[in-house]
Amino acid sequence: MAHVQPTDIYPPSDLAERRVTIRQALRTAMLLGNEDLRSDRLFNHLALQIFRYQVDANPVYRSLVQARHIDPSALTDWRDIPPVPARAFKELPLLSQDPRPVEATFRTSGTTTGLIGRGVHQVRDLSLYRDSLISTATRYLRPELQAPNRSSADTSTRMRILCLTPDLKECPDSSLIYMLHTWIDEWDDGGGCFLADPEWHVRTSDLREAIERSHLDKNQVLIAGTAFSFMHVLDRISKEGFPPLTAGSMVVETGGFKGRSRTVSRVKLYKAIADAFGISMARIVNEYGMTELLSQFYEPILLENGPEDPENRRHLGPPWVRTRILNPHTLHAVPSGHPGILCHIDLANLDSVAMVLTEDLAVAVGEGFRILGRAQDATPRGCSLIMEELLSISG
Amino acid sequence: MTAFRAFQLPPGTRGFETAEIQAKGHLRARFSRAGGEALLRSLRRARATLCGRTSRDLAQSIGEVGRRFTEPGDPLRREAELKLPSEAGISPSMASLIIDGMARDWTPEPLERLLLADFQDPGILDNFRPDVEGQLSKAVGGSLAFHIGAGNLPGIGTTSIIRSLLVKCPVLLKPGRGDVTLPCLFVQALLESDPELAKAVAVVYWARGEGSDLEELAIHEADRVVAYGGTDLVRELRTRLPPTTPLVAYHHRLSIGAVAREHLDTLAQAEAVARKAARSVATFDQRGCVSPQIIWVEEGAPTKPVTWAKLLATELEVLAQEMPAGPIDKTVAAALQQLKATAELKGLAGMGDRVFGDAAGKGIVFFDPKTSGVTSLAGTGRTVVVKPIADLSQLSEVIRPASRTLQTLALDAPELRRRELEDPLATSGITRITTFKKQPWPAAWWRHDGTGPLQALVSWVVLEEND
Repeated sequence: MAHVQPTDIYPPSDLAERRVTIRQALRTAMLLGNEDLRSDRLFNHLALQIFRYQVDANPVYRSLVQARHIDPSALTDWRDIPPVPARAFKELPLLSQDPRPVEATFRTSGTTTGLIGRGVHQVRDLSLYRDSLISTATRYLRPELQAPNRSSADTSTRMRILCLTPDLKECPDSSLIYMLHTWIDEWDDGGGCFLADPEWHVRTSDLREAIERSHLDKNQVLIAGTAFSFMHVLDRISKEGFPPLTAGSMVVETGGFKGRSRTVSRVKLYKAIADAFGISMARIVNEYGMTELLSQFYEPILLENGPEDPENRRHLGPPWVRTRILNPHTLHAVPSGHPGILCHIDLANLDSVAMVLTEDLAVAVGEGFRILGRAQDATPRGCSLIMEELLSISG
Repeated sequence: MTAFRAFQLPPGTRGFETAEIQAKGHLRARFSRAGGEALLRSLRRARATLCGRTSRDLAQSIGEVGRRFTEPGDPLRREAELKLPSEAGISPSMASLIIDGMARDWTPEPLERLLLADFQDPGILDNFRPDVEGQLSKAVGGSLAFHIGAGNLPGIGTTSIIRSLLVKCPVLLKPGRGDVTLPCLFVQALLESDPELAKAVAVVYWARGEGSDLEELAIHEADRVVAYGGTDLVRELRTRLPPTTPLVAYHHRLSIGAVAREHLDTLAQAEAVARKAARSVATFDQRGCVSPQIIWVEEGAPTKPVTWAKLLATELEVLAQEMPAGPIDKTVAAALQQLKATAELKGLAGMGDRVFGDAAGKGIVFFDPKTSGVTSLAGTGRTVVVKPIADLSQLSEVIRPASRTLQTLALDAPELRRRELEDPLATSGITRITTFKKQPWPAAWWRHDGTGPLQALVSWVVLEEND
């Protein structure tokens, strides 16, 4: 168990200074590929430092900690940090007090399942989001770039990023599109583009042209989009599909079935994507992220060469995130291998709240987790209108 | 235990296979295309039997079967009581209560009153009769109806079958996942007591998307489709139905409550109102279209809205002893954690939100200090939102944004106040104004979602005079 260093306890007037120290530690972890945070002791140390900073800097969170009768200076284990529910992000400001302005306000597109409507996350420091997302995406999507001495200026590592989403200009509040935009900035060879209109309808003929161009340029392609966008594309292409993607290409599926009336199984979807684009299922990666977190999770199949079957995969995050699986009735940790709800502590959420309780059901697999669908034994719903329907009718 | 037959077919039906679904304890029927066609043909043929009898005679015969479900010792009822809790995710005492409440309306007298309410002269289903202008007309149900329930509460499928038979239209029912037992038992009983009539009904359960051949056939062959379900289902049916087929859609609805300040003068009064409201919330575990999802409480009384919210939570907890809630699955538990923690955090942030009655399953009351905003926590067990309102005269405007989804309002107010409010409310989207006590149990002859339920199932034939 890590003990708190006396130097951690600053008076609240030193908030800015404390933030700088923490930000520096995160930067080291994110940009230098520093694996220190894999150590329980160091993770715990930084997590508690961030927790205390957030208690001092965020009055709403402080009131929650006080209501739970928790003495922040006495807490010794990050697992005892009280979470905020993901839903709270859209209902009230969960932002540290800081003289700097909010740089972006991200919102979840459309509605999600059940009761949680559009998620909202005010982001004070976009550079933190950029550092977090590019570091994690590099680790799981482009492991070859992690080799020592790589340079992002090295044009031989460039690939073509085709995004089945609108442009950031059209959806400035989408954290997903911001992420894809960052990938283009970092990895794209100059030919990448956004291929959907503001209504998220993909221009399939433009997609075909872009794939054909990549053939001429002999460049690897990364196609990224929500499951729903891929279905939209698959519905509209003729039987022959697209020209097969260049060897080494990949597809990144970013979820997004939530709240849509039509869903297909992931296996079916991935098979259809593999057929249409002429790639192996083992080159189709799922990214799991949420507006409320500045970090993401990926299936490590490119690092680990499989498995192909989406049902047998798991998600992993970066070293600055840890995930607990809790009993949804009691919020106690479930025994290993039992299903529960995900509770993430994401240290990149420095300026909001790091410990976030989600509504997603999952089961632990190794050091990661596998997301589960809606419980098969779910109670029949009845005939009363649920919130999602109310929004879809009135909205 | 042997698997329950999740289907009930006219005698002699062939052309289907059965498969046991072990996880559900179901034996399900799956029709070949030819088998499905034969089933629908045989149902159509049974129309002649229905048309050969008067509507009153039909009400009598159907009502006698319905009566069996009201008798505690009847084996049919006992079987229903045994199966309903696991099928619908409700407690055994709730199952008995629901069977009582539903079956009351399946007996001869309420069915006759339903015929009278919708047609004044039910003979108009039997013969051409003159209307007020002297014009001869007759109400005719179709030759085949396809009724679809979706995940519904127990009882709705049976009521739906009964309505179709009363207008002399053979019916194929695909019941909701939570409502397979009752219609199967009902038709089984009909087969024993009135086998000719039973030839006009088939109940076949299949999971959405699984019964494709029979579903496709029924959608294309039926003269009328009646659907109980979510907006998804209704939207999908509208695209799949032939343009000439009428769709009677009972989409999911939102019901509410309101309490006048006159009934909050003393603590005893406020508690009495809370007790009645709690029973309405607890019945169906808030899953009924009649269940009050939001209750507006008028300000200006000694008992403040937030205090009343707490009283309601207490009454829900007390009631849970007598009428326990059904189990809460993981998905619902996860949603409740979000709701509770968010409301708590908003309260701590000084926004005025409060959560009362934390115990899972006993009932949770969310106090939301904002009057505006129509919300629904349906699907999360016994949870209800209480909101303050400065004056009930504002209610019709407050709820207007949800007008197309509204159904029942339980209005707990003195008669004079009710009179003042009834006209503005009549144009707000609400189609039934009642009390908390009556809220869960509309009469058999109610205007279901604003329309006569039998009238919705007939076409009128006029017979003009010979030249």
